[in-house]
Amino acid sequence: MFRPDDTIVAVATPQGKGSLGIVRISGPEALTVAQGLLDHAEQLRPRYATLARIIDHLQAPTPSGIDQVIATFFPRPRSYTGEDVVELSSHGSPVLLERIVGLALLKGARLAEPGEFTLRAFMNGRLDLVQAEAVADLVNAVTPLQARVAFDQLEGTMTGLIARLDGKLFDLIARLEASLDFPEEGYHFIKNREVVQSVEELLKQVRELLSGAASGRLIREGCQIVILGTPNVGKSTLFNYLVGSDRAIVTSEAGTTRDLITEVIDLDGLAVTLVDTAGIRTAEGCVEAEGVSRARHAIGVAAAVIVVLDQSRVLGPEDWAVLEETATMPRVLVLNKADCSPSWSSDSLVGGERVVSLSALTGNGVCMLRETLREILVGVNLLRDTPRVANIRHINLLERAASALESAKGAANEAAGEEFILADLDRARAALEELTGKRTSDDVLQHIFERFCIGK
Amino acid sequence: MPTDYDVIVVGAGHAGVEAAHAAARVGCTVGLCTLSAETVAQMPCNPAIGGTAKGHLVREIDALGGVMGEAIDATAIQFKLLNRSRGPAVWSPRAQADKQRYRDWMRIKLEAEPNINWIIGRAGSVVVDGGRVSGVELESGSRFSCRTLVVTAGTFLNGLMHIGPEQVKGGRAGEQASHQLGESLKKLGLVWGRLKTGTPPRLDRGSIDFSKFEEELGDCPPVPFSFLTGAIERHQVCCHHLHTTDDVHKLVRANKKQSPLYNGQIKGIGPRYCPSLEDKVMRFPDRERHHLFLEPEGLDVREIYVSGCSMSLPREIQQEIIGAFPGLEDAVMLRPGYAVEYDFIQPTELGPTLEAHKVPGLFLAGQINGTSGYEEAAAQGLVAGINAGRRALGLEQWVLGRSEAYLGVLVDDLTTQGCLEPYRMFTSRAEHRLLLRIDNADLRLTARGREIGLVSDERWERFEARRGRFERNVVRLKNATVPEQGHAVEAKKVLRRPGETLEGLVQRGLVEVETADDSASVELSSVETLVKYEGYLRRQKAAVSRSLQDERRRIPDGFPYGKVPGLSREIVVRLSEVEPETLGQAGRVPGVTPAAVAVLGAYVRRWGGVVKGGVAT
Repeated sequence: MFRPDDTIVAVATPQGKGSLGIVRISGPEALTVAQGLLDHAEQLRPRYATLARIIDHLQAPTPSGIDQVIATFFPRPRSYTGEDVVELSSHGSPVLLERIVGLALLKGARLAEPGEFTLRAFMNGRLDLVQAEAVADLVNAVTPLQARVAFDQLEGTMTGLIARLDGKLFDLIARLEASLDFPEEGYHFIKNREVVQSVEELLKQVRELLSGAASGRLIREGCQIVILGTPNVGKSTLFNYLVGSDRAIVTSEAGTTRDLITEVIDLDGLAVTLVDTAGIRTAEGCVEAEGVSRARHAIGVAAAVIVVLDQSRVLGPEDWAVLEETATMPRVLVLNKADCSPSWSSDSLVGGERVVSLSALTGNGVCMLRETLREILVGVNLLRDTPRVANIRHINLLERAASALESAKGAANEAAGEEFILADLDRARAALEELTGKRTSDDVLQHIFERFCIGK
Repeated sequence: MPTDYDVIVVGAGHAGVEAAHAAARVGCTVGLCTLSAETVAQMPCNPAIGGTAKGHLVREIDALGGVMGEAIDATAIQFKLLNRSRGPAVWSPRAQADKQRYRDWMRIKLEAEPNINWIIGRAGSVVVDGGRVSGVELESGSRFSCRTLVVTAGTFLNGLMHIGPEQVKGGRAGEQASHQLGESLKKLGLVWGRLKTGTPPRLDRGSIDFSKFEEELGDCPPVPFSFLTGAIERHQVCCHHLHTTDDVHKLVRANKKQSPLYNGQIKGIGPRYCPSLEDKVMRFPDRERHHLFLEPEGLDVREIYVSGCSMSLPREIQQEIIGAFPGLEDAVMLRPGYAVEYDFIQPTELGPTLEAHKVPGLFLAGQINGTSGYEEAAAQGLVAGINAGRRALGLEQWVLGRSEAYLGVLVDDLTTQGCLEPYRMFTSRAEHRLLLRIDNADLRLTARGREIGLVSDERWERFEARRGRFERNVVRLKNATVPEQGHAVEAKKVLRRPGETLEGLVQRGLVEVETADDSASVELSSVETLVKYEGYLRRQKAAVSRSLQDERRRIPDGFPYGKVPGLSREIVVRLSEVEPETLGQAGRVPGVTPAAVAVLGAYVRRWGGVVKGGVAT
């Protein structure tokens, strides 16, 4: 659980080798801890890059320098966490970084929990909940589009929109409450018609936010596309081509791929997890049988499937079985081996299918496949505008707000008592406030911050 | 005269009366200390009880076995159910009182209570022994001892009345202020502040040309406050509408500098919700006119109260302004309006039983806690009286939650948020308003009152019969069908149509219900609401159970906020002042963020705070 007032330390850059690595220290003792590691006698100047050496005091017989670093001190409250923060930028050796963190621990810092820096930023009012989530999204982004959506959110686009909605809602609530609480004065603070209009306006705005939600979620979370087909039709060759490396083993032997092989690709900004599967047939061994069963399982969670058919040989009963099995799914039929002479034509397939003829070997036609896949996932309108809502938590809360507003509209249309309309409006407001973290419970907070990795 | 009591109550206004009565009913011997038994339950301002949200408080006081509801039913001269065009959750009874008869009724009621003794005199100081209350000393020097003390000093602590440049020390017109008592409370270390309130001039009935004003009539038949009251058949008087004119506004503006409110003479903060005439004119320059009422102070007294017209201008200017109203040209002012400034104790000094954190055994209730209104005072008096009594007898504290009653909302708001201006109850303060209706006040609270000995056998029998009827009616209505074009349609579906009422269905002979003749309309409303607004009530109940999760997480006594890392100094100071009982209450302390509550929650858990079933249920 949160212990938000001691001094924490962690490596902020990714694990592994790099030319630079950053150790971040935050908390009331950040400066003392950092200065204890450095050979720099004077106090670090706020917001200045200071060149210094890290001294390993434990090294026998005499303490010696272990690296040259750039130390930057961000005094509170104008720092990432809102506390005193020191960032030490050293050379990016994992051993070195670990040593620096170890020394900081000896000076009284504690190893940060996942997400703890951002949690502190939230606690200290530097970020609201939506922005804190954006930090995690930004860090986890694998496509530029994902990063753009996350950064928009971090910049406060979403926060601003919600604040405006909340403001309008509050104004409406205040006028309705006044009508209830001061009946003797004979004032009508708001007419029923105005109530209906205001609620409709709010509802329209929430719906607009939600309209981009499906593609927003697709961008944020990505999706899974499964490559299916009978053995030896070239699934793994196609997989490797799309991934851009020889990730899957390709042989002429049927049944080479046994387990699922997955790789994330950037499909016009969408993070698509591509899954290569074992060829579907009556399996010859128990390992292959397990592979086939896993392939079938993967289809269950896929957003779309690519059914690979070999156009150089006549379709067999097993091909037809695969076609039948995926008939209700969003799919593309790939007629592979276009580089060989075809032995049948796509006319023999049912009309209305998306069919792409290509050669996974040469790459001819793969462009067309990518286009077709994108069309299946997001429709013909490419993601021209960045959707504002992408997070499932936000979508759920906005939907809750929309349903409460819908109910308020119904009540207002029936000229029900103001207190009922108000009960609905209060629910809508609660949903909006939960979104930005104005109202929330620690369970929600913990759940959200568990997604972070150490150092963020 | 005995000098030793279980409970002593200082002050016999609306808070004191309920406190003394409740403590006596709980089983304590009570000394009720007042300047004069003649001014018991005095209404120094408007001659009315109830109004939005205030009417809810009175119904709740009554459902628990308090006295205000019966007193006003017995003595009112006009009844109205406010907000009748709106939904049942905001219906609120209001009645014009006959002030003299109300006082007399209350005095007789208290004198009939064998456990209550009068202590006539002016309370001077709280006697504390070993850190807890042991008695009270009068200004005359006599001492009375008690186990617990309830102070309900109203506006008497350093009261200062303003009529233009005239300043008179006093708590109400014609009555002296209490200086010593206030000083004694401050010496105990209680944080205090200064507030202001006001009252309008009283006019001579015979000098008013009532033909110039539109009449405001009472309801027929009246809806009573008390669940004990049967049908009321009584002649009702009418009130009159009046409104300000441009001439009135001009006069007020021209004399702005003579108003103690606007020339710096008054420092205390007044109620925004009950603005003086000066405030109305100055703060809302765009409004052409303001609504006022002429209300009689009783059946056979001359005083007419000019409701909504409180002012503190010099008397001759008040007379001039009154004369500027069409119809009041010849009106004789019997006494001028005035503003009164008084000390109050910041109610964050008190716990949920209204006992002072710093002085065990000392309870405060009413206007001394920064509230305005007779009903708010009476409600606190009841809570303080019950708990002072229970404390004196060594029983557990008795607290109502925010989801149980307006009383719970009132006490929680006061003790958690404190007062920056006089506190008035509003329905919007109750987040679970749909569940806290006047029609179900007894269903919510009478059993709670019975448990602690407040509810008499008569009330209990009456209640059980009513609850039986209610439950049978609900079952009946849920199962009933109504013939419509040859089909049987479920009655509840028909009832949920806009504009349809249970009364309508009953009158058309489509649904049968059981009622007791004298309380039919409110009883029907309980049944109707439950069926008609089922969805809303269900959602609100779900919200209640969510909020109870935090209400049930107790913060142990003496919890060291300062040692919780991550709480800002400001938050630590606020929480240490308020000493919230639960995590839920902590979250309502102004300035405490959800993040801070999350941290606090983690530490309370780790500190081994034992969950003792929670205070609020």
